[in-house]
Amino acid sequence: MRIDFFLVMAALLFTVGCVGVLIRRNVIVILMSIELMLNAVNLTFVAFAHEMRSMAGHVFALFVITVAACEAAVGLAIVLALFRRRRTTDSDDVSLMRW
Amino acid sequence: MDPQDLQVVIEATVKVAIVLGVIMTVVAYMEWVERRVSAWIQDRRGPNRVGPFGLLQPLADGIKFLFKEDILPPHVHRTLYLLAPAIIFTTSLTTFAVIPFGPPIEILGRLVKLQVADVDSGILIILAIASLGVYGIALAGWSSNNKYSLLGGLRSSAQLISYELAMGFAVVGILMSAGSLRLSEVVEYQVRHGWNIFWQLPGFIVFMTAAFAETNRLPFDLPEAETELVAGYHTEYSGFRFLLFLMAEYANMITASGLAVTLFLGGYHVPGLHLLDLPPLAFALVQVGAFCFKVALFLFLYVWVRWTIPRFRYDQLMNLGWKVLLPIALANILWVAFFVLQGWA
Amino acid sequence: MRLLMGLVFVVMAAAALRALLPRRPGLTAFAAAVAAIVLVGFYPGDLATFDFWAGAVGFVSILSALLIVMHPNPMVSVLFLILNLFCMALFFLMLQAQTLAALQVIVYAGAIMVLFVFVIMLLNLKAEEGMRVGMGPQRWAAIGFGAAFAALMFWALRHRHGSAFVEPKAFVEGFGTARDLGTLLFSDYLFATEAASVLLLAAMVGAVLLAKRRLE
Repeated sequence: MRIDFFLVMAALLFTVGCVGVLIRRNVIVILMSIELMLNAVNLTFVAFAHEMRSMAGHVFALFVITVAACEAAVGLAIVLALFRRRRTTDSDDVSLMRW
Repeated sequence: MDPQDLQVVIEATVKVAIVLGVIMTVVAYMEWVERRVSAWIQDRRGPNRVGPFGLLQPLADGIKFLFKEDILPPHVHRTLYLLAPAIIFTTSLTTFAVIPFGPPIEILGRLVKLQVADVDSGILIILAIASLGVYGIALAGWSSNNKYSLLGGLRSSAQLISYELAMGFAVVGILMSAGSLRLSEVVEYQVRHGWNIFWQLPGFIVFMTAAFAETNRLPFDLPEAETELVAGYHTEYSGFRFLLFLMAEYANMITASGLAVTLFLGGYHVPGLHLLDLPPLAFALVQVGAFCFKVALFLFLYVWVRWTIPRFRYDQLMNLGWKVLLPIALANILWVAFFVLQGWA
Repeated sequence: MRLLMGLVFVVMAAAALRALLPRRPGLTAFAAAVAAIVLVGFYPGDLATFDFWAGAVGFVSILSALLIVMHPNPMVSVLFLILNLFCMALFFLMLQAQTLAALQVIVYAGAIMVLFVFVIMLLNLKAEEGMRVGMGPQRWAAIGFGAAFAALMFWALRHRHGSAFVEPKAFVEGFGTARDLGTLLFSDYLFATEAASVLLLAAMVGAVLLAKRRLE
């Protein structure tokens, strides 16, 4: 089975995730777009694993899921702490350290 | 469509129809059972007016719910409000698909497995769909746009995900001993080596406790108790949508009982049945009956515990899930691992 | 021909995102998703496997991805992300990665997304009235970057060596099962597995500390 379809799909999803990170201001939606990008990468890994008939792709995809879980947990904890301080989830409002 | 495919489709449709029909009937009559058994425990009579022994009571209740006015409160988030009962009801019914309720039997020359879907990763599918059920509750709490529902939804979701973990760990012990994720192979293992409850008792206790918590039944029903938070996440629901929540709870109970029977009590196995020389169809039917009897036993246990034990407070509940059940489940895994390594399992 | 297709994609994506204003995000996303799938279908290359079901799931996944980014209400965005993760799990099933598909639903769609839902419920985030996008030039720069990035990836895919006719390898029995995955995790990738567990521990400690009200 040819995997090009899945690779193109992953590329499109990755692009949508990228644009989401750049365009949206709400921190939680930014985190969600990052998750979308990680998923697109997972799809690429699994597609190539299917083509090469090697389970290494699956193992790496599992590690990506693990890292995504950790990053989501810590990121959301940061969002909570931020919200307690500033009462906002707008990334443009968190600009104290900007020049 | 060639005849082979057609046969597969017909077989699948019939199985789904039977399982769905049986589950929905049992859900309706669980309500009757609950009220009669609770009455018996509390030394009073249950419903006995509608039909003989009150057996038509669920019908009357169903009609009542159907005829209630369909209120859509103006302050709710409409899409999520309508979606939440659908999610929870769908996930509660789907989980039963991988539970085997009988041995494979020969019907009209085909080997029919008495299981709607015998997937390679049966146990994982159950955990997956159960974790999707959390969304129904969280969304119901959120979409209702009022403080009590929000808090009830938060508490209930937190309870569900905490006990999901303990349940998963209890299941790992079964996984290790059976060597496969397929539920039919777990049952085959128990047919050969004896029921899992005898040597994995801590795992069984953890699983049952977690199952009580997962189905939001007493002693873990804080989120929906009448004396707390009005009615928790289903405060704003009335009529048929409320009925969907109740039916989903009973369907979850049935699935959890079915799972407990399959994983720990040998599924459809009747010890010593092979000694009587029964024709294969009767053999299979007796085993299906045994499965139903065991599930009924667990359902009775659910109702019995509900009307006997007081409710847990929220912090006690979370404490139990993380600090008590999780270590016991881990100890169970070590125990089972020791047995498996020694080759005694 | 390829260049023309790429340009059409860029123009349609830009037009779709130009209408990223609060009115009718669903319709815009639908149009963009149709454009994307039509383009994928006409992708000048070796997309011999573009069968109906893969296309349908792909359509739903792109539509939900676009709606994550475009919808003003964060809770609805989370729901679309869950739908997207579910479509990913279906893709994994098509690629014979059963265990990973189940794990994706259990871990990603069933636990990580619940975390997102919790945080949104705790912070009580309703739909945003204000403009979601940044300042004017920033928005166009982002869209331009997105289009350029997509074009770059399409070009890279076009020129990968696998596009030349590679003999499909024989089907391996037990490919994608939990047994094989587990064996690999505990033999070849043991160090990475242990490191991942340490990472999870660190993340747990970090999350608990960061979300505490007061360090006492």
